[in-house]
Amino acid sequence: MNNKEKNHFHPPPRWLDWLLERFCAPHLWEEVQGDLHERYQLRIKRTSKAKANWLYFREALSYLRPSAFKRHYSPQPSFADMIRNYLTIAWRNLLKNKAFSSINIAGLALGMTCTLLIMFWIQDEYSVDAFHTHKNQLYRIYERQFFSGKAQGVIWTQGPLAEELKEEIPEIEMATAFSWTNYQAFTVGNKTNKQGINTAGPDFFKMFSFPLLQGNVETALKDVNNLAISRKMAEAFFGSPEAAIGKTIRYDNRKDLIITAVFENIPQNSTLQFDCLRSWEAYVQDNEWAKGWDSNDPLTFFMLRVDADPAKVEAKLKHFTDKYIPDPNKTFRTELGIQPFHEYYLNSNFENAQVAGGRIKYIHLFTIVAVFILLIACINFMNLATARSAKRAKEVGVRKAIGAIRSALTGQFLSEAMLLTILAVGLSLLLVFVLLPFFNSLTDKHMTIPVTNISFWGIVAGMTFITGLLAGSYPAFFLSSLNPVNVLKGTLKFTSGSLWFRKGLVVFQFALSTILIIGMIIIYRQIEYVQTKNLGYSRENLIYFPLEGNLDKGYGILKEQLSQISGVKQVSHITESPASLNWGTDGISWPGSDPTNRVRFTPVGVGYDFVETMNLKMKEGRDFSKKFATDSTGFLINESALKAIGYKNPVGKFLNWGNHQGKIIGVIKDFHFQSLHTPIRPLIAYLRNQHREGSIMVRIETGNTQRTLSEIETVCKKLNPEYPFTYYFTDQEYARQYHSEQVISRLSNYFAGLAIFIACLGLFGLGSFSAEQRAKEIGIRKIVGASVGQIVLLFSADFLKLIVVAMLIAVPVAWYAVNEWLQGFAYRTEISWWIFVLAGIVTLVITILTISFQSIKAALQNPVKSLRTE
Amino acid sequence: MKGTYLGEFEEVVLLAVAIRSGDAYGAAVTSEIEQQMGRSVNLGAVHSALHRLEEKGLVNSQMGGATAERGGRRKRLYSVTIAGKRALEEIHQLRNQMWESIPKTAWS
Repeated sequence: MNNKEKNHFHPPPRWLDWLLERFCAPHLWEEVQGDLHERYQLRIKRTSKAKANWLYFREALSYLRPSAFKRHYSPQPSFADMIRNYLTIAWRNLLKNKAFSSINIAGLALGMTCTLLIMFWIQDEYSVDAFHTHKNQLYRIYERQFFSGKAQGVIWTQGPLAEELKEEIPEIEMATAFSWTNYQAFTVGNKTNKQGINTAGPDFFKMFSFPLLQGNVETALKDVNNLAISRKMAEAFFGSPEAAIGKTIRYDNRKDLIITAVFENIPQNSTLQFDCLRSWEAYVQDNEWAKGWDSNDPLTFFMLRVDADPAKVEAKLKHFTDKYIPDPNKTFRTELGIQPFHEYYLNSNFENAQVAGGRIKYIHLFTIVAVFILLIACINFMNLATARSAKRAKEVGVRKAIGAIRSALTGQFLSEAMLLTILAVGLSLLLVFVLLPFFNSLTDKHMTIPVTNISFWGIVAGMTFITGLLAGSYPAFFLSSLNPVNVLKGTLKFTSGSLWFRKGLVVFQFALSTILIIGMIIIYRQIEYVQTKNLGYSRENLIYFPLEGNLDKGYGILKEQLSQISGVKQVSHITESPASLNWGTDGISWPGSDPTNRVRFTPVGVGYDFVETMNLKMKEGRDFSKKFATDSTGFLINESALKAIGYKNPVGKFLNWGNHQGKIIGVIKDFHFQSLHTPIRPLIAYLRNQHREGSIMVRIETGNTQRTLSEIETVCKKLNPEYPFTYYFTDQEYARQYHSEQVISRLSNYFAGLAIFIACLGLFGLGSFSAEQRAKEIGIRKIVGASVGQIVLLFSADFLKLIVVAMLIAVPVAWYAVNEWLQGFAYRTEISWWIFVLAGIVTLVITILTISFQSIKAALQNPVKSLRTE
Repeated sequence: MKGTYLGEFEEVVLLAVAIRSGDAYGAAVTSEIEQQMGRSVNLGAVHSALHRLEEKGLVNSQMGGATAERGGRRKRLYSVTIAGKRALEEIHQLRNQMWESIPKTAWS
């Protein structure tokens, strides 16, 4: 054997080594393997390799004994031990610094409460119309209208469309028209009630998941005299759904209908709301024009076959109406589009005839707000933890010196953050539980905590985890990076980087808060603006009630009797209602008008004294008058219409409406007859002395409203005994159009307030921390003669600088954001400079108040106390 | 400390450690026993006995002396403690005492 061969190392079977390493205790591993190898080398020299392998195998396996895998000498504590230690330390720290802990927990809890509430709200918004079983097959049709070079989208469609779709397009399984809600009188025996009634095709209950308590989906709306009613209505008239089925009910005092179905009350999260449903056919019988293709009235919904491709269907539908509308040189072109039924609620706006958002904007807005608030709360946590790290630094130093590795320390601080977050989550769940009823009344919703919903708890757990991670990350990485030598020597200095980071966080926090405050002021101002804007008519003291029953034929008597009531000033009537006029016509022409580019007018049929009752201002000419018989063919137009027509001296000039010709007798100054989301459109008013419909308007005097109203009711009841008297105040109805903005405004008020509160909590904590840190400095300053005022100033200046920087950042961002929001209104408040100044001052004042509490406390301290010990 | 009762195999191992004093590690102790007793001994059993002896305080150990045939791994070198020495003496004495006590007639 030569030397080389002697020293040659023969590796034993590797798999045995591998196996042994699995179960042998780590502290024994080195000697065991060494000994095994040594004996193997010896054996391989003395005997054959196979024998050596076999013996190696036997010896290796002999280590399968408890003494070999017992790990009682292990220097590494188990994972569970470490976590327990972390939590113990965290808990002790929590109790030791009660003030800081409560600031941290309260801030996080408040932040999370906001986030949870906003999350509930968003979830609720998304749940609207999402409960239908066939949700993914249901679509609604909208129409794109092109006229006068403009494009607009409307959701009303032609009456016969639904039936025609079913015939022509095989992918469409079911379809129904759905008319708008009317409030009509229903009578059973001597009981009369007004109920909201809609009409729909026979497929309706098969498509939508409104469960029937009585009757079946096939026959519910089969015949013209059928009526499906809600449980509530059945209970009101008959006592129970069972008693109602098959009974007769009198409708509008002119028709007897048979109740063929009773459905469960419509849930709140449905956009279709109705008390009862009549068949669409019956509606067509009442309204001849609904048969044709030349007018748009109902909504149209359809259900696709499960396997159908919606994109293909949409393509087929695009020019669907062309063949039914014969006019070859159309000036008014239409196309059809489809939208998934459940998406309409959040995306109900049209821009250039395309679906363009809607409430979804608010959802995005509040998602951002929720994230902002949570971020602000997390930043509090980060800031306080890092600021206080000087106190914890010694602990870190000792831990590191006895061998803690960095990742273990990171883990420690993260688990500490987690503990606080979990406490905060518990508190916030409690807060949510307490605040939810209040939040519900604020948003007009009926939300509950989905305690049984697993995904809710999943989200809460996820939020806890992310918040804990976010809040704990910076302190964890910062503290674990400290050098133990420096720390233990007592020369811990924050690097300028970490100081900047902390300052940066404060700036970021206050920038967010300031943005929210500015946003809040703007939203509030816009709502104010909308509600107090001079609409061109006076909406106070103007009531209106539906023109129904005998009120058309008896209008003369009604007007005469109403006028005799002492509180009534004027009486007139108007198609639709004074708060909102939505009809449209493009049938107006005049000499020189462009036949290929018609202007769309809003037509309104009115009675005598229309201008005076509405308190409109005349620009030229006069109101309709009984003195001039020719007025029955005359027109009143508004300024916008005049601009569109372009007449120099309009009064006395002629306009054509279809085949009618009429003279312009007056021009009304522009007034808002729609919500301020839309610009004022050209308006044409005509005298409607027969077949009056819409509303009767009564201008009443201030004071004694109750008595006047009851006298009006008496008059109406006498003429119209079958109909319950319902009236509306124009100003209230007007305000209702801005309901969602009001909710948003209220919500943003609260959330902006909370955001600044949470941010100030953090500042309060930082302030008290730095007062503690600089106690000696303050003591010395006082001894050498500084006044309390000077110290307070010195102290506040540091923070105020940060706040000013924050505001400088916030202003342009906020300006951009609110400007975007205001684009949604045709008439909007200005964004004036003073709003930013105000927001700035508010933030500053709040900050100064917060800091001064701490700084005055620090300045008033007796210097002896802080300097005594050294 | 666990009971100081010394089992038979433990005694042998302890003796081997004493014999190989200065270079007593698992493999060396095992081959010493094998040589002395003329039979093969399981390394695992020896290790386990060494650990028990260490727990009983009869031997102590330290790491050292890596060699090539061990793949560069260190040995755990055992040495007999005073308690260990005393235990061996006690056993030796006990055996001697018992040996002396055998009546001469027993062999006849």
